Amino acid sequence: MDWLTIGLIIFVISWLQILCAYLIYLERKVAAWVQDRKGPNRVGPWGLFQPIADGLKFLFKEQVVPAHVHRFLYILAPSIAVITTMLAFAVVPFGPTDVPDPRQKRFIIAPNLDIGLLFIFAIASLNVYSIILGGWASNNKYSLLGSLRSAAQIISYEIPLALSVLGVIVLVGSLNLEHLLNEQARLGIGGWLIWYQPLGWLLFFASALAESNRLPFDLPEAEQELVGGYHTEYSGMKFAMFFLGEYTHVTTVSLLMVILYFGGWHFPFVAEFNANYPGATGVKVLVLWTKASLVILVIMLLRWTLPRFRFDQLMHLAWMGLVPLSLLNLLSVMIVRHWSLSPWLLLPCSVIILTAIPLLHRWKSRQLDWA
Amino acid sequence: MATELSAWQPLGLYLLAILAFVLGVLALAHLVAPPRPRPIKDMPYESGVDPLGDARLRFDIRYYLIAVLFLLFDVELLFLYPWAVAAYADNGLPVALRDAAFLGVLVFLGLLIIGYLYEWAKGGFRWR
Repeated sequence: MDWLTIGLIIFVISWLQILCAYLIYLERKVAAWVQDRKGPNRVGPWGLFQPIADGLKFLFKEQVVPAHVHRFLYILAPSIAVITTMLAFAVVPFGPTDVPDPRQKRFIIAPNLDIGLLFIFAIASLNVYSIILGGWASNNKYSLLGSLRSAAQIISYEIPLALSVLGVIVLVGSLNLEHLLNEQARLGIGGWLIWYQPLGWLLFFASALAESNRLPFDLPEAEQELVGGYHTEYSGMKFAMFFLGEYTHVTTVSLLMVILYFGGWHFPFVAEFNANYPGATGVKVLVLWTKASLVILVIMLLRWTLPRFRFDQLMHLAWMGLVPLSLLNLLSVMIVRHWSLSPWLLLPCSVIILTAIPLLHRWKSRQLDWA
Repeated sequence: MATELSAWQPLGLYLLAILAFVLGVLALAHLVAPPRPRPIKDMPYESGVDPLGDARLRFDIRYYLIAVLFLLFDVELLFLYPWAVAAYADNGLPVALRDAAFLGVLVFLGLLIIGYLYEWAKGGFRWR
């Protein structure tokens, strides 16, 4: 029993609650700005107390369990959504990883887990159970359709997600997120993996959006067709738990993207590796969370920029678009690593793959009708 | 790097804390919120129309097909992850084995790609 771990756990759980509440507020504000409305502005200054009011409302709302549902699974589904997404956060460093003594101060719940990245994917993909159980237990046609779509979508995008990250792993040779981050920070801005894996990053971003059911991939809850998809029958606290899960997942994915591709807490001159001027740790934490917030903001703006996919387009994109691209990406990284070529070759390589393959695809599908 | 079991200890604690949190929230909401069931409220919501029959219907076989495809690819990926770490870690494979491992994985990926192209040609990815 060490008190640091216990303190960190309590801090992370409460921090995720506050963060998710305010992400929902931000989402509503962004939506309002995009649509030229005001958004929540009644509770407190600029509506800043809105999340607290919402939380209280969720708590005091009637816990409706409709008569036709499978009671146990109906309650289990939102619990799984929260448990899996929050558990995946355990191996994500949310601050600098170059602290001298990790027994005194650290910014990760479970440090030194060599399985890090695989753990995140394994746990986060369990999230599909919450959706399919929720949809099936609800005994509602909208819910069932939404959950089926969602399950197909999540498992399809799982493969390009894992394949695209494999490029990073081959490049660095580790699954440990702290190690990945330190390697990038040590090399400075030229070490950020985005320079070597732009294609991998793009594939990761697209798949991660689909994994977390965000627009343009939010077919499972396409309001216009399916009311609310798998959470049509949910209300009160259980409904809030689904959203807690979704926003926790968005946070994890954003942090992961920053850590894998954008150097995590590293920023030239301000937050260099082993910089130890007074307040350096705080600056590093700030840099990391600023980058992650920017990613979250991009995700939110994308929601109001891109129209939703049709379901067949969605499946085609995953299986015929992203999978071959990520396989080629993996092959190029393997070749570079095997013959110890300069990793900078990967930058033009990514661009060539990204432009050539869709063109080829287009030309092929015009010739034969099997695309 | 630590591979011993103690590295997992914080994770276990964290899992317990999350379970306690989820159960606590559910129990609190259950205690605080007023239960007022009504027959109409307990009906499935289908846009105000009285539901016809059970919702647990038979569904499209294509979902099943996607699940099988996913299973195949995911097992292959699970093999590739340990390979990537073992082959390219700083203290990974000895130099003598690198060529063999590279060729082996190329063959493996080749088989995967052949299967993938076959599935594509058969129209397994076509959703129509």
